[in-house]
Amino acid sequence: MTVIDEDRLRRALGEAADAFDVPTGAQDRVLAAARTATADASRASLRAVIPHTRRVRVAAIAAAVVLVAGGVTLFHPGTSPSSRQSATSTAGSAIGKGPAPSISGVGQTPTTGGASTGAPSGAGSPASPRGPASGSTASPAPAPGTPTTPTSIAPLPPGAVGQSPKVVTTGSVDLTISSGSIQSVVTRLSTLVVGDGGFVAKSQVQVGSPVTGTSSSGTVVLQVPQASFGTLVTQVQGIGKVDSSTSTSTDVTGQYVDLQSRITALQASRQQYLTILSRATSIGDILAVQSQLDSLQSQIEQLQGQLDVLNSQTTYGTLTVSLAEAGHHPPPAPPPRSGLSAAWHDSVSGFVSGFEWLIRIAGPTLFVVLFVLALAALGRVAWRAYRRRTL
Amino acid sequence: MRSHEEVDDLEAWLKEGYARSFRTACLILGNRSDAEEAVQEAYLRAWRFRASLATGADVKPWLYRVVVNTCNSKLRDEIPHRDRRSDGDHLDGVSSIEDLPGRVARSQDVARALQDLPLHLRVVVVLRYYADLSEREIATAIGRRQGTVKSRLHEGRRLLAQHPALLSETGADPLSESGDLR
Repeated sequence: MTVIDEDRLRRALGEAADAFDVPTGAQDRVLAAARTATADASRASLRAVIPHTRRVRVAAIAAAVVLVAGGVTLFHPGTSPSSRQSATSTAGSAIGKGPAPSISGVGQTPTTGGASTGAPSGAGSPASPRGPASGSTASPAPAPGTPTTPTSIAPLPPGAVGQSPKVVTTGSVDLTISSGSIQSVVTRLSTLVVGDGGFVAKSQVQVGSPVTGTSSSGTVVLQVPQASFGTLVTQVQGIGKVDSSTSTSTDVTGQYVDLQSRITALQASRQQYLTILSRATSIGDILAVQSQLDSLQSQIEQLQGQLDVLNSQTTYGTLTVSLAEAGHHPPPAPPPRSGLSAAWHDSVSGFVSGFEWLIRIAGPTLFVVLFVLALAALGRVAWRAYRRRTL
Repeated sequence: MRSHEEVDDLEAWLKEGYARSFRTACLILGNRSDAEEAVQEAYLRAWRFRASLATGADVKPWLYRVVVNTCNSKLRDEIPHRDRRSDGDHLDGVSSIEDLPGRVARSQDVARALQDLPLHLRVVVVLRYYADLSEREIATAIGRRQGTVKSRLHEGRRLLAQHPALLSETGADPLSESGDLR
């Protein structure tokens, strides 16, 4: 094998190197750069000399992105399958909601004499510079000493403190009706409740199919004035065969009276603050009193909302009617497959299962691969930096 | 002053090895301006990390290691991303006026042949036959085993012997020898 002669190569390289003149003053420049470097300035200037490659930045950013994305994927509660399922089922439960007025809609529910003692939600109050909506959405913390909303209140005996009894009545009736009559029964229920002065709050019907062997069923929620509740239950029980029937009455008179008292007391406090406000002279005093007024207004509106809900619940009784058609048949069993057909179906099922399994593990696998690559990139960069620094 | 005392080390290194380091970088990089930047950067870096040099260790291969690594960084990260220099750019700074035309031409041929060598071979050839480092020192300078250095030197010499620029310059076989290098 032919190789170049060492001595001649040495001479040739020497001649080629000698052709490059050593730059004049280069050593002085290096020394000057080193001399002017103090402890901190030296670090800064040398950092500028060491090139930061794009690779370092890209690797660091990629690693950070992968780690953050992985952490969010693994630990974020909103992306877990259970939470998604929960959200879906909640959305599904809203199907079939009737056109009845919302029970929590303030101002839509009929009012009774009890409501007349409360302030009209603070709306239009001449002394309040802010509207009721703003007071309820950004209410400051209640001042010390002011009453707070209770979490549970023991009911008072009926007729206490001169208040007519407030009773929340609910009930349910499970009916079995004749096959194919569910639509007519629902229509009849609507007619009955409207005739009693009420309305259909919710109606949900599942129509069965003779092919699948399922029968129709449904649920209807009726709201009727308290006085007509018993009549309606009797009428409903006459429509079909009663499987079960329940009725519950809860006395909320004490809670109602307590809410009224709290509202009255808060309104009195508000009136006092308004008086103070009219006499205030300095900006600081005005702002302080205004803050207290906002807090009071917010509490009044919250309590008034609870009172309105109670009014609605005690004015209307709620009856839930569950309907089921008679003659429910289970779906017909599929005909038994022959050996070849069963094998074919098992094969297809196995193929689909395998494919699903592949898709299922693709995500975690990709994450692991990216994670390992990011770690490898970081390790490589760190190793290079270490070798460069320990030259 | 403490800073002046610390710079004494650097001054000694520069006085002893700057010229040869600069020309070594010229042969590796192929041009003068990059070589000047690389050597300046290398000496400053070596001075900053002088504490990492083991007590009693030889400074020369360590300094060459810094120079070679800096040249590698330039070849990897900077030079490929800029416009290509003209073929004759490596002559920048060549003192051609006083030299004989034949000597200049031979220098060009050697420089061209060197640039055609793969970088890992070019480095060991330059360190061995210009910087005059032993194979052991080269192994320290490039962070490889001595056997690797030996095989690279042989491969470099073989490729240089076959290079057309050197063949045309040297005729049939004036720079070559037969047989394996040991």
